[in-house]
Amino acid sequence: MLGLDQFIAELNKSISMFLPETALVIAFLVALLLDLMFKKSKNLTGYTALIGFLVTGYFLFKQMNMQSTAFSNMFVIDQFGIFMKWVILLSSIGVVLISFFTNELYEKAKGVGEYFTLIIGMAFGMFLLVGSSNLIIIYLAIETMSLSSYVLAGYTKEVKRASEASLKYVIFGAVSSGIMIYGISILFGLTGSLNLFEINRFLAANPVNNFALFLSVIMILSGFGYKISAVPFHFWTPDVYEGAPVPITAYLSVASKAAGFAILLRFFKVTFLDSVPGNDSVWTLLGSIDWHFVIAILAVLSMTLGNLVALWQTNVKRILAYSSIAHAGYMLMAVSTMDDAGVASVLIYFFMYMVMNLGAFYVVALIANNIGSEEIDDYNGLGYRAPILGICMTLFLISLTGLPPTAGFIGKLYVFSAVVKAGYIWLAVVGVINSVISLFYYVKIFRNMYLNDVDSNKSKLTYSPASIVLLFVFAIPTLYLGIFFNDIVKWASYSANIFMGK
Amino acid sequence: MDLVGLAFYFLAALIVISAAIVVFSKNIMYSAFSLMFTFFGVAGLYVLLNADFLAVTQIMVYIGGILVLIIFGVMLTTRITGVDVKSNSLGKIQVGIAGLLSTIIAISLIVVFSSTKWFLSEPKVSGDSTKLIGNELLTNYLLAFEAASVLLLIAIIGAAFIARRK
Repeated sequence: MLGLDQFIAELNKSISMFLPETALVIAFLVALLLDLMFKKSKNLTGYTALIGFLVTGYFLFKQMNMQSTAFSNMFVIDQFGIFMKWVILLSSIGVVLISFFTNELYEKAKGVGEYFTLIIGMAFGMFLLVGSSNLIIIYLAIETMSLSSYVLAGYTKEVKRASEASLKYVIFGAVSSGIMIYGISILFGLTGSLNLFEINRFLAANPVNNFALFLSVIMILSGFGYKISAVPFHFWTPDVYEGAPVPITAYLSVASKAAGFAILLRFFKVTFLDSVPGNDSVWTLLGSIDWHFVIAILAVLSMTLGNLVALWQTNVKRILAYSSIAHAGYMLMAVSTMDDAGVASVLIYFFMYMVMNLGAFYVVALIANNIGSEEIDDYNGLGYRAPILGICMTLFLISLTGLPPTAGFIGKLYVFSAVVKAGYIWLAVVGVINSVISLFYYVKIFRNMYLNDVDSNKSKLTYSPASIVLLFVFAIPTLYLGIFFNDIVKWASYSANIFMGK
Repeated sequence: MDLVGLAFYFLAALIVISAAIVVFSKNIMYSAFSLMFTFFGVAGLYVLLNADFLAVTQIMVYIGGILVLIIFGVMLTTRITGVDVKSNSLGKIQVGIAGLLSTIIAISLIVVFSSTKWFLSEPKVSGDSTKLIGNELLTNYLLAFEAASVLLLIAIIGAAFIARRK
């Protein structure tokens, strides 16, 4: 046991490195209290959330070049984590702003006080997950973000499909986190530790039963796979994405996925990297299990199933749900290379994916405000009834397909080149075929908006100028990052280094 | 077989059988009551593992708190007690696939548990485990402790929100 003075000194140091997360917890508590005190105010907790996120951003900015562990090696601060935390933070801000313009939330729920409070809580869970290097913290963080997202998915209680979405999410979530903690217990039984660094050291020094290790990691993967909605852990995705309020769907598809990918990458690198060879940029893995292949299988399944099933969907939110499964597949492809170039390409992809996906969902929310539907047939002629929305939606869809000159193209370019560089040509080929398939259903939305019901004499859609400004906040980066992407690429390559402990 | 071994098998049988009743019983009252035996069995396992604090907590929290709450909930919601829980409305294909998967998983788990060389730590001095747990929670596991408190707060807010009248 530590001496008291030594412990307090260490605690002070840890807390000083935990400031972004602390800011989130404080914002969470303040929002909770303000909501209790001022019942009538409409968006008070929303503004509190925004201020809290800005303060978090300030502390995160001050951590930029830090690399350390805190709280007895339970928590890691490194460039990789900070990049992912930026993605989560920016998308949290984006989601709060989108929520302000989503009528559904204000009409069908009784007050939005808890809504923004829970968004802050979820952001805290994701921050914790990104930085955790201990299986207990991983589990707690996943539960924190899951519990908040269960409630958020069903926030519009009056809407039947939202309650259904929430219930399905809870059931699938409970099962997968149950399987995950079972896997954790097996891994603990094999190695005698919950700390990823110590597990790594143990695996390097002692041979363990391969089958038991394989089984435990697959079980833990089911927890991560559930968060990133990779096949075969994706069953909840379409129903929850369709039923949840649009901003929450966007949040689940971007931030929640970012946190899942962050912990997936950290788990594999920290646990299985053989640190002896010295050159860390291509990971040499411990043990004889072919993890590349396991992840590559998940990638192929996710891409193919996501894209093929999306072809038959008639609801835009469902299409985007299956497309998000497919996007998880593209990113898993880069994860399966298990080298630093792969990590960098996942980071680049996420930054681009964040902008374009939030944008696409925002357009869906604005259209739903007017026509109250997300069915693809109701999108007929919308390109003429709402020209700005139509043009922006087209831009986001092109970007999601991965065509130049948009952000999505750059993301895909780096992912595919990382995969090819690592020598997985067959995987890249599957990826390219899938991108072509995906073009079909993205174009379907576009076609309905511009080629069907051209001479419609239905009224034009109305939207406030502020909502259009926010739309440009997503649309301009989607174009800009497709052309001037050097800074993001540099930042991502610099952040690809996952901290391996002392 | 020594006394500890006998006690283990007795408790394990108790847990498995009562857990099976929880799942398969069609009357929700029977499920709730047999859940009590499951919890007791688990507490017994903790005692066998020298985890006295955990065993007492298990009894106090799960049986004293959660289970009593469940039973009260069931009894106060008059409509539930009479309703049979339907658990056999699945198609044959689903049951077949689920059964196959479960069998595969069960077999691989049995293989793992019987063939693996587990990590065995040195037996520590047993004694005042409460004090040790308290110290660990507020030093090495401080972050987990605090994170759990935020998690519980979120759970309470969520539960209150869902339960609130429209």
